[in-house]
Amino acid sequence: MRTRLRSLLVCAAIACAAVGTLRPAEVRASESLAGVIDANQPRMVKIYGAGGPRGLEPYQSGFLFSDTGHILTVWSYVLDTDHVTATLSDGRRFEAKLLGADPRLELAVLKIEAEELPHFDLATAVPADRGTRVLAFSNLFGVAAGEEPASVQHGIVAVKTRLDARRGVFESPYRGEVYVLDAMTNNPGAAGGALTNQHGELLGMLGKELRSAQNNIWLNYALPIDELRNSVEQIMQGKFRPSEEPPDILPEEAIDLAQTGLVLVPDVLERTPPYVDLVRDGTPAARAGVQPDDLIVFVGENLVHSCQGFRDELAHLERGTSFRIVLMRGQELVDVEIVFDGEEAQP
Amino acid sequence: MTPLARRTACLLAALATALAASHAAAEDLGVLEERAMKAALARVAPSVVRIETVGGLERLGKVLVGTGPTTGLVVSADGYIVSSAFNFAQQPDSILVTLDDGERRAARLVATDNSRMLVLLKVDVETELPVPQFVPADEMRVGQWALAVGRTFEAERPNVSVGIVSALGRIWGKAIQTDAKVSPNNYGGPLVDISGRVLGVLVPMSPQGTEEVAGVEWYDSGIGFAIPLETVLRVLPKMKQGQNLHPGLLGIALRSKDLYSEPPVIAAARPTAPAYKAGFRKGDKIVEIAGQAVAQQSQLKHALGPLYAGEKVRIVALRGDERIDREVELTDAIDPYVVPFLGILPMRHLPEGGGVEVRYVYPESPAAEAGIEPGDRLLAFAGEKVEKLEDVIEPMQSLAPGESVAIELRRGDQTLPIKAELSTLPETLPGELPPAYPPDADVAVDERPEVGVIDVKVPEFTGKCLAYVPENYSPAVPHGVVVWLHAPGGVQQDELLALWKPLCEQYDFILLAPVAEDAKRWQPTEARLIRRLLDEVTKNYSVDPARVVAHGHEGGGSMAYVFGLTNRDVVGAIAAVEAPLPRVSRLPETDPLERLAFYTTLATKTEQTAAIEAGIERLRELKHPVVVKQTGEQGRYLTGDELQELVRWFDTLDRI
Repeated sequence: MRTRLRSLLVCAAIACAAVGTLRPAEVRASESLAGVIDANQPRMVKIYGAGGPRGLEPYQSGFLFSDTGHILTVWSYVLDTDHVTATLSDGRRFEAKLLGADPRLELAVLKIEAEELPHFDLATAVPADRGTRVLAFSNLFGVAAGEEPASVQHGIVAVKTRLDARRGVFESPYRGEVYVLDAMTNNPGAAGGALTNQHGELLGMLGKELRSAQNNIWLNYALPIDELRNSVEQIMQGKFRPSEEPPDILPEEAIDLAQTGLVLVPDVLERTPPYVDLVRDGTPAARAGVQPDDLIVFVGENLVHSCQGFRDELAHLERGTSFRIVLMRGQELVDVEIVFDGEEAQP
Repeated sequence: MTPLARRTACLLAALATALAASHAAAEDLGVLEERAMKAALARVAPSVVRIETVGGLERLGKVLVGTGPTTGLVVSADGYIVSSAFNFAQQPDSILVTLDDGERRAARLVATDNSRMLVLLKVDVETELPVPQFVPADEMRVGQWALAVGRTFEAERPNVSVGIVSALGRIWGKAIQTDAKVSPNNYGGPLVDISGRVLGVLVPMSPQGTEEVAGVEWYDSGIGFAIPLETVLRVLPKMKQGQNLHPGLLGIALRSKDLYSEPPVIAAARPTAPAYKAGFRKGDKIVEIAGQAVAQQSQLKHALGPLYAGEKVRIVALRGDERIDREVELTDAIDPYVVPFLGILPMRHLPEGGGVEVRYVYPESPAAEAGIEPGDRLLAFAGEKVEKLEDVIEPMQSLAPGESVAIELRRGDQTLPIKAELSTLPETLPGELPPAYPPDADVAVDERPEVGVIDVKVPEFTGKCLAYVPENYSPAVPHGVVVWLHAPGGVQQDELLALWKPLCEQYDFILLAPVAEDAKRWQPTEARLIRRLLDEVTKNYSVDPARVVAHGHEGGGSMAYVFGLTNRDVVGAIAAVEAPLPRVSRLPETDPLERLAFYTTLATKTEQTAAIEAGIERLRELKHPVVVKQTGEQGRYLTGDELQELVRWFDTLDRI
């Protein structure tokens, strides 16, 4: 018993020496965070290429996802040159070759000639939900150079949402899900950085700078790895084909306001509220029970702010398809469906 | 492997497991916190609603007002929802609320809190809405977790950002400060603690600005504000009744500009305001408010900041040894101060035997009605002995037109007690005036600074500046200063001197004519340099601030407004020729201590006519005195006679 205890103590001493000094329990959390950060830093890459118009920065961030030098980053003007270099966290600098890019997801895969590299594994990336604590690794503002480690920011996932949840708000070819972050992560040079949870597990890639057209507020976000994985694999296998479908297709023949039988108030203001002026007899609007002075507030799930906004919504609907609108009548909300019969749908 | 080696290996493995377990335990804090945050969010989420608006303005000042969704917080189970006034600044036609269960309701705006920048909305509901629990003020601690919650990205799920409580009692005692990210993405939503109780309602705010959009420029910058929910619930019954709330005003002006060093001594008490009505007067030193001792003006502002109009507050002030202890009911708006007018011009020398001698009596003025004549001496005014001009001016600052004032006059050997009912400043130009000094006044001095065309230099000012001090200048005679701001094209030195030399000599004025860095246009930022030039003149010459005038033509006229309005402590009048009042977001109110008179020309058929007229109207609405000089159909500068008349008006700016 005594012997065992002694050897246990000896072992403990060895273990302590191995992991450093043990501290009281309450500070261990940050120590483990430091460990997580240390483990991820060697996987980060600083990417240098072409500058953009009006003094846009000639650098961005990326991270290794194979031991043979595959780098995931964003597709941008920085890569639009024959000479892209990638600097690893140990300061080694490599010419980077562009293996391929997906313009819709705005991602690119680079390759450097090196081996046995520390890397993230896309296959084991995990999802996150709102409230998940995150770490963002990037070379924002190009502040790190050579062997200097990437900058680390912390925050949480503010919400998981789709960039196209509201039409025309975010001008980006990418329309899928993003993690909105509550940290100021998406700064010049940060795009292509890695997002992990507090255990260091890969969650996503930091996106490009993006500003809401609705309230002018900059968005901080990352693209989940789940959304990127297929494209990356296809690029690696040399099978990537750009997506056939353009991001926002307008129907060739859309619904015309006149076909609904609705006449709106004269559109004189910058934002004239879409009040119904009159409803023509025997039309879809009349059959749905729309009344003069009703205010159109929603088309489907989309809020309309103005007469123009209503016409824009109609432009997204194929001629002849029925659609729901929500009307405000006094203080009451009325839900109606506009249904065309065969004849009305003809031009 | 020997048994010992095996045993050691087993032990090492066990130890490694133990260490791994302790590593997991170490991570627990982060994990537990994350779990707690998610739980807090889940707890408050049912009370956080999404708000969408239809119609309204696109832009407020420079701020693009979003059409995107905003956030609200349920404060009463029967359908009352509070939100940030920022979300309604664009005056929408319709308001739609989406509740946590996805149900959409039309909402109406019930009331606005203009002190906290909040609005109260009402939706009709059949079932009770979940009202969140609030954190009492005495439980809030700087450094505690704070989650800012909005419902803007997704209707189904709130969005959240995390930080701590950075400070309490901010914005003059009204707001909680947090470093959680606060922006239009969560204005109107709650700031909650780690257990999901509501600390406050998120709003943009700024210590200086009072508009709905003030403070928005600080979005997501690590400085955000929330109004304690406890306060909101306290005023909720009033707001439910449709009562708009306003900051509570006392209606006093304080003497110094340094809030943090000077005691709150009343420099002027507006007769129309609560403090005056409660019995407080100029000179009283406030020492206590609502039971708190105050020694600095900032403390008074902190104590008053959270109070609403209609609330009563106990104020204690000292008047000499006397302790004045009154309850004052605060008000929401104070009628603009109107400068009272007796109707005389004073002589500018002090007669032997004291008092203020009358230089001129305005026809049909209160002074004329009361029988005051030129040459009379005012010996007492409003019950106080008059030894110098200030003894008349200072009591006037707390009087209002319509009020009656007792005056004691000396005429020859007689002493006459009279009463005069004060009126308002005239908006007319004077005719010929008697001199401001008696013919036998001895103003000669042995030494005087340089006269004629002088060099005025300040370090930053690289441009030219013409300055002229009349040849007959004497330091014993306080002079006025005409700050001449040229029209596009600059200054023709010889012409300008020929025009102004005789006027400066006759009416005791110094001319200061800086040239804009770009002679074609003035930049508002140049006002600071003009001020430095004026200060330089004031330092070296004897200047009467009441007769310092900003005068300009066309672009220079606009600059005269900019310079005059931002330097009221040293400027007594603004005289603009062919220039409208520039668009400034907030026109300064009339102020007993910083009187400002206006002169403008008005031609009937120019592009500027409508703008000039609008400016005159704005100034008069605020009770500023404005002299309007008609100059015919086309815009032009003044003729020689008109200029003489204008300078005569400058000469009357020390009127009482």
